[in-house]
Amino acid sequence: MDLSEAFELFLILGSVLISARLLAPYVAGVYTNSRSRLERVFAPLEKLIFRALGVDALRVMGWKEYFLSAVIANAFAMALAFVILMFQNFFPLDPQGFHGLSLGLAFQTVVSFGTNTNLQHYNGESSLSYLSQMGAIQFLQFSSAATGICFGVAMVRGFITGSKGLGNFYSDFVRTITRILLPFSLLSSVALVWLGVPQTISGYASVIGIEGIRQTIPVGPVASLVSIMQIGTNGGGYYGANSAYPLQNPNPATDVLELYLMMLLPTCLIFAFGRLLGKKREARPLLISAYSLYALNLLVAFLAPLPSAQAPGIEVRFGGFLSTFWTVTTTSTMTGSVNASLYAMNPLAILSAFMGMFVQAAPGGVGSGLAYMLMYVLITVFVVGLMSGRTPEYLGLKIGARDLKLLMLAFLIHPLIILVPTILAYVSGAAAAVNAGSGPLGLTAIMYEFASAASNNGSDFLGAAANTQFFNLSTAFVMLIGRYAPLGLLMALSGSMIGRKRFFTTGLDTASFAFSGVLVLSVLVLVVLTFLPFLALGPILSYLRGMVNGFG
Amino acid sequence: MGGVTKPRGPGWLGKSNLTPALRLALITLVVCGIAFPLLVTAVAQTLFPYQADGELVKLDGRAVGSNLLAQQFTRPIFFQPRNNSASGVDPDITLENALSQAERVSNATGIPLAQLDRLVYENVQGRFLIFGSPYVNVLKLNLLLIQSYPEIYGKYG
Repeated sequence: MDLSEAFELFLILGSVLISARLLAPYVAGVYTNSRSRLERVFAPLEKLIFRALGVDALRVMGWKEYFLSAVIANAFAMALAFVILMFQNFFPLDPQGFHGLSLGLAFQTVVSFGTNTNLQHYNGESSLSYLSQMGAIQFLQFSSAATGICFGVAMVRGFITGSKGLGNFYSDFVRTITRILLPFSLLSSVALVWLGVPQTISGYASVIGIEGIRQTIPVGPVASLVSIMQIGTNGGGYYGANSAYPLQNPNPATDVLELYLMMLLPTCLIFAFGRLLGKKREARPLLISAYSLYALNLLVAFLAPLPSAQAPGIEVRFGGFLSTFWTVTTTSTMTGSVNASLYAMNPLAILSAFMGMFVQAAPGGVGSGLAYMLMYVLITVFVVGLMSGRTPEYLGLKIGARDLKLLMLAFLIHPLIILVPTILAYVSGAAAAVNAGSGPLGLTAIMYEFASAASNNGSDFLGAAANTQFFNLSTAFVMLIGRYAPLGLLMALSGSMIGRKRFFTTGLDTASFAFSGVLVLSVLVLVVLTFLPFLALGPILSYLRGMVNGFG
Repeated sequence: MGGVTKPRGPGWLGKSNLTPALRLALITLVVCGIAFPLLVTAVAQTLFPYQADGELVKLDGRAVGSNLLAQQFTRPIFFQPRNNSASGVDPDITLENALSQAERVSNATGIPLAQLDRLVYENVQGRFLIFGSPYVNVLKLNLLLIQSYPEIYGKYG
């Protein structure tokens, strides 16, 4: 990375931070039922939806009802998308005449998109109809992003002084869609089309090329998908090659916009956290540690020489810098879209990608990243309490033994569902079946698949090659557990804060810079200690062997 | 859990939970999965039809390819895209690659190298403000060749 590239990096992240800070009052207002300037547009639409749902949007829910409502709504959403994918040839908007997906692939795909993961075992341009791309893929991208934000906001509500419950799931979900996701996606979709991304429902264009060879131009409703996939940290692309495919990401301008969009909401939600809490200072340690950990990931990735624009797996229009920047950002935010082949990345960039997916909060996916960062805050509060001999407390709330059990369980599920299936893939021969290889690169590719599934990221080495029974089923289960188990436990924890007595003692100042520093360190210690042996046998060994990328 | 209203209906999986959840999924499908992409399509086709259709390029009124998709060129008189990249259809080559191919094109066509180099330089794109590094779109460059040298490329025009 040279000086001008460093400047580009600061410019992009600076714009993210400034706009996220400016949007925070609006985003926080969505969850405190504040009036917006577009109230006349939103309010009647929402009223109509609430009436159709038959729910009282103002009724506050406890954690169990909130969480369960979300899980049931997600299950229905996945079921609807499943029907569309399985029977896409019987529905309209299938100009290319694609067949329905196989049972295993359809199941894996709806779980993948329903859990905000977007791990893709198919190539969209050669297997999904327009209706599937819209009514299954984009639909689940909206639904899962809204659900993630709901989880994050609901978890915060447990810590707000005087909170009666975690809020109303239906109200939060609908308002997230109408006031955040739809307007943001509309604006960015139009911007993307203007910059060159297609948006049409006419069939693929077929032309006779200059030398007389027939060429198919796979177009479709691409821009509307790309916008929500980035804004909602979904990451699943219209095309198999994702944002490396020129029709999905035609030039450096779209690339920078797409980079910006994936950082925007996760960052904004951290600022919104402080406002929801009524203690803006408390957002500071979360922001500092999320961005410090992200900066550390960038630093490690940029330590190695960048691939050249001509290198295999790199698109010329992005070159090594924008490709590496993207790879780190997409894994730090749980987006999972890619603009270069992961095989083209230096082992150190892959190490960064792993770190992003292990931490899940630097700044993490929309909503879930906030929830995980709060989890780390509470664990750190406990550790600091142990060291100083004080009763651990956060915002005046005592953190007890039951809380710690929930926290540790929420943290430990993650390594469990990454490492066990990785070993299973080797033992069962499934890894060999997809030609993963036995060296460090093979282990990297297999472990990456499950790290990506568990953290609901979605980037992968294997791609459509992983469309096997073992990988479809195993990743589907890992995605489901990775999504709902830790967040469910954290919601239980947050729910138990309601009505808990608050102590206003001069204890630990969690908004201090010192605490932020300890927070970063404790996240690193937790994650590195858990995963180091596996990282050492994967990307670190590749690096020590002098490999410059996955091609050799 | 003071202040929390108990959910209506019997049990967690009662009708009171299932019906609104199913309706929510259906409404989201219709609004976000159908209406939204169609709305964007309508806006895109009205405001930016060229981009919305995939930046199709025309030669004598006939679409011959897209700016955004590599087209295979096999003859030495044309610049050729690279064949390994992340997407497999990278439409661009680096400036150095284009200049190195200019020599072959010059030998095959008799067009002076200096003229080809100038054509390449005039076609450099890829800078957005300060982002990105220069590159050359192969299809655009070849179309320019066809139009600039009809005596050589006549049968392709």
